[in-house]
Amino acid sequence: MLFIKTFTRSICTGKYSFAAEKSLLAALRKKTGYTFANCKKALEMHDNDLNRAELWLKSQAQALGWSKATKLEGRHTAQGLIGVAVNQYSGVMVEVNCETDFVARNKEFQSMVEDATKCCLRYIESQQKPQENVAKFSLDTEQLKGLHSENDGKSLADKLALMIGTVGENATLKQGLGLKTCEGIHLVGYAHPAGHVENGLQLGKLGGLLAYRSLGEGNDHIEIAKGICQHIVGMRPTKIGNNDDKPAPNKDEETCLIHQEYLLDDSVTVKELLEQNQLEIVDFKRLECGEIVSSIGKQPLEFVETCQ
Amino acid sequence: MTSVLVARALAPAIHRTLKQIIQNGTITKFHNYVKVIQVAVPQHQRRLYSEKKVFERNKPHCNVGTIGHVDHGKTTLTAAITKVLADQKLAKLRQYADIDNAPEEKARGITINVAHIEYQTENRHYGHTDCPGHADYIKNMITGAAQMDGAILVVAATDGVMPQTREHLLLAKQIGVKHVVVFINKVDAADKEMVELVEMEIRELLTEMGFDGDNIPIVAGSALCALEGKSPEIGSEAILKLLKEVDNYIPTPVRELDKPFLLPVEHTYSIPGRGTVVTGRLERGVVKKGMECEFVGYNKTLKSTVTGVEMFHQILEEAQAGDQVGALVRGLKRDDVKRGMVMAKPGTVKSHDHIESQVYILSKEEGGRSKPFTSYIQLQMFCRTWDCPAQVILPDKEMVMPGEDAKLILKLMRPMVLEEGQRFTLRDGSQTLGTGVVSKTLPTLTEQERLELTEGKKAREKKQAQAK
Repeated sequence: MLFIKTFTRSICTGKYSFAAEKSLLAALRKKTGYTFANCKKALEMHDNDLNRAELWLKSQAQALGWSKATKLEGRHTAQGLIGVAVNQYSGVMVEVNCETDFVARNKEFQSMVEDATKCCLRYIESQQKPQENVAKFSLDTEQLKGLHSENDGKSLADKLALMIGTVGENATLKQGLGLKTCEGIHLVGYAHPAGHVENGLQLGKLGGLLAYRSLGEGNDHIEIAKGICQHIVGMRPTKIGNNDDKPAPNKDEETCLIHQEYLLDDSVTVKELLEQNQLEIVDFKRLECGEIVSSIGKQPLEFVETCQ
Repeated sequence: MTSVLVARALAPAIHRTLKQIIQNGTITKFHNYVKVIQVAVPQHQRRLYSEKKVFERNKPHCNVGTIGHVDHGKTTLTAAITKVLADQKLAKLRQYADIDNAPEEKARGITINVAHIEYQTENRHYGHTDCPGHADYIKNMITGAAQMDGAILVVAATDGVMPQTREHLLLAKQIGVKHVVVFINKVDAADKEMVELVEMEIRELLTEMGFDGDNIPIVAGSALCALEGKSPEIGSEAILKLLKEVDNYIPTPVRELDKPFLLPVEHTYSIPGRGTVVTGRLERGVVKKGMECEFVGYNKTLKSTVTGVEMFHQILEEAQAGDQVGALVRGLKRDDVKRGMVMAKPGTVKSHDHIESQVYILSKEEGGRSKPFTSYIQLQMFCRTWDCPAQVILPDKEMVMPGEDAKLILKLMRPMVLEEGQRFTLRDGSQTLGTGVVSKTLPTLTEQERLELTEGKKAREKKQAQAK
């Protein structure tokens, strides 16, 4: 075994390499990462010319991705990630689904979600600012597919097909949610489990967006707002609530945001926290990965979700 | 009338054989030597209450699982294994469709996926599980529903290693599977060179992920061929070779009985004229009169000797794992030993107050709490017969939602007996929060750290502000 290993390695790295087919196959696979079957086909078609085979593979990748994507189309996707991004007056959450959570943990998939979130954010940025308060945007699968990436001009649908080609699992661009605020209203986003934060972009299984107004002078209380956004993700309130809403008799079943105990300090309610810091919540959105958005009557048996 | 007479006449004979059987049973030390019992039950009688076959425990049991990409043929391999072994009458043939999780089972909401396929080789009996997803498997592992002693990684020769294969191996590592056997599937659709290259690639990845990449057995074959009974050299023979490697490479788990003894103390009694008796269920090993023992827990370590073992007020020659026993110990006062301590073979257990663990937090539907929690929450930790308050630190998350698994660092108020792989429960007041398993023991807390445990939130924030 060791012999074969060193032998191949010497061929791969050696300047004057033999045109051995095996090492070519290994080199092509290593360089491009495409499946062995495809690499082999590429070499056969181009008389073992590495460069031409590589070019062909690259040109074919899109088509291959698409054919794979069509093949896997019907398969159920329940796992995935939510990308959350905020830039000044624009904020988005994008949900991308895949079949297993192994894939959701993979870099390839994560960078795909990042791309989708960035595209979506750019789209929201290009929209008119509302005169007052917050404008909401909702993007469905088709709309998301039509968005184009800034870097290479490829559509998200193409990128998704490419990704499906690499990981060999079905994936869907489920939905996008956008918020656009007017002057004076700030946005903050949070994704859980938090960890991976890159230029304002977060990935997680749960996401939240919060639009708030600072009534005090100067300080915009970004840390407090982030905490409230985390609270929204964690405590899943259904509405902001106002002074007319009475607190629920059981504290644990409170669904009204302002009456809930603050997650990071349960000695105060969110209402008290807001008053202390002179903040006003304008709107919030919460998204859960794999959540069924609208109940479509009775679900078919094979789509019933369990933790299997 | 005649039947009664016959029965009477036969009674002494039956009585004798039963006696012999019981004696045999104790001599061979197979606790559930079902075969013996099966002999005792006449054939026609068995059919009366059930058609079920009686499980024969005559081989050591081992749990294995398949991991790999959804399309690489994990299920086909499982079906092929049962087919090849069914030909040797060692398994029951399972069709592909039977193995795929039944939708009815999903609809009923059975969340725990236990080993649903069994088969045996010449040497061992196997329970076979499939790993559907990371989070699901972690949950099963933590709750103890499925424990894999080894894994079979399935990779298709046509595709090679996929990007997510890394994540599959990561899971194996996380759940403590040290022994992986690789099956390169679909070689009927690939050529020899491709298979060799895939093998190289797998070895490279295994080494990179911290497995013994150079020595892990890799078998190439085609599960489909085996299932269809075509080209036996890559079909059934490859499957048999794979099973042989699994037999050899994945070690049989050590039985509780063969481990050094350990008895969590439930009660202590003082018996006038005899001394102190500790009671509890012997968790593992064997205890006999005259054995040296050690009591550990509550910052104490006491040495003693077992001077007698009893069960149900009868003297026991030796107590075995699983027995509810009382042990008479020499030279200790009743107040020296407390519930929560552990009686064990000297030097085999240690107290810890700082551990890393994998915990599954119950969702509200499962009876857990509805709110997420963050670092510094104080929970009551229950384990064996003791319980102790513990502070929780979340090393890689900001909060934990109900229904999630998480890595927790637990700092206990006082050192208690803990070891890797030990299961425990976390409770908050009257509510069970979740269950966990110790993944690593960390260095004991210093005096300073111990003081910080009891500090309030205000003091902690003040300190953090000062540090800035």
